[in-house]
Amino acid sequence: MRTSTLRGAIWLVGYLLIVLGPLFALLAGNWPTVRDFWTEFSVAIAYSGLAMMGLQFGLTARFRHVTEPWGEDVIYYFHRQVSLIAVGLVVVHPLIMFFAQPALLALPDPFEIPWGAVFAFISVFAAIALVVMALWRAELGVRYELWHLSHIALAVIAVVFGFLHMVGWSFYLTDPWKRALWLGLAIAWLVLFMYVRLFRPLLMLRRPYRVVEVRTERGDSTTLVMRPDGHAGFRFRPGQFGWLTVWGSPFRITANPFSFSSSAELPGGQVEMTIRKLGDFSGAADRIAKGQRVFLDGPYGAFTIGNPADMHVLIAGGVGITPMMSMIRTLADRRDRRPVILLYGNKDWDAATFREELDSMKERLDLTVVHVLSNPPDGWDGERGFIDAALLRRHLPKEYAEHEYFICGPGPMMDAVEVALGELGVPLSKYHSERYSFV
Amino acid sequence: MRRWLALRLAIATGIIIVVMSVVFALARVTE
Repeated sequence: MRTSTLRGAIWLVGYLLIVLGPLFALLAGNWPTVRDFWTEFSVAIAYSGLAMMGLQFGLTARFRHVTEPWGEDVIYYFHRQVSLIAVGLVVVHPLIMFFAQPALLALPDPFEIPWGAVFAFISVFAAIALVVMALWRAELGVRYELWHLSHIALAVIAVVFGFLHMVGWSFYLTDPWKRALWLGLAIAWLVLFMYVRLFRPLLMLRRPYRVVEVRTERGDSTTLVMRPDGHAGFRFRPGQFGWLTVWGSPFRITANPFSFSSSAELPGGQVEMTIRKLGDFSGAADRIAKGQRVFLDGPYGAFTIGNPADMHVLIAGGVGITPMMSMIRTLADRRDRRPVILLYGNKDWDAATFREELDSMKERLDLTVVHVLSNPPDGWDGERGFIDAALLRRHLPKEYAEHEYFICGPGPMMDAVEVALGELGVPLSKYHSERYSFV
Repeated sequence: MRRWLALRLAIATGIIIVVMSVVFALARVTE
């Protein structure tokens, strides 16, 4: 079995144990009165759903060892999709209860509704609002920063009130050790939340960075050169990314993820990020001044070179060139002699960020650059259109499954390239992609 | 493809959790 498959399997078993372990612990010790199957089933899915919702704080806590077996992007997608399942379980729970025990529908006087029911209502309502906001943020026209804030608030409300509902009803938690177990679990979720929102920002506050240079790049892009201010900084692997906070403190929810574009071999902890104007925060990147204090949280991501490979195939679209640039610069600094092929898609020739440096890199590295323009100028004799299977066949040596592939760019481009690699028989384990449009 | 991987992972997780909830309920009602 491949190591990556084994690590993935261990990860999944660990996840299931954390979710299901506390539920099955309820079967030990004293049992409360047995009820009908549907009531018991509905309670089981509610306990599991709540445990899954609490564990979401861990999935998004950016623990490197948690995300590494799958990669940051897969974990974020998993976080999104598993939250739909968790909220689905929590919403179905009262529906089954009402079906199994119709008497519950005959609500008493509004002033006599038990607190447990009120907590349940608040929790379910917050969970539904959370999902609606996450799925349709763009359609609802909610700004990213505001959405992020509401996402955190609704998640905390859903989990805290769900827990209060569970404790308030207390059906399964009559044994003190079972209460302690679930209380411990809830405290663990809270600690994860505090770690992300309080402890780590505090650490970042003590380790600021200073912008030492701002470079305007081709393709409406700006490179920020940053050095650690009063500390040693961190080491990253080429292709990884960090969360950048420019204006305000790390406690504010204004961090944005960007790939490092510099070589991982730069001395003094210096790092560079290249940001293209795409709206929201990135639209203001060129207003960042030299000397500005910024905060960096990182490095993150499994989108990085280091696996055995006969050659590296880098497939970039637009600003997706930034992690590739870090890989190319690092491989050049390390005097790596393996071939590198860069397939670089852009709208037009002017938008091809770093194209001059890529040309000069050919002297330091066995590098082939294939520019692909969707809107080429007159007289262009290079590739045109989009990167597809036919283009890959034209430019790559035939041992397709032996190469290590890295894909970064707009979603539709990445989807198309991933399909094309599948057509070429490249196994999933041989290609890596990183998407930052998490929401 | 990696999105599909995450989706398959989430679906597998959901199925296992629902099945185990059935096991839990059966364990309770068949004491």
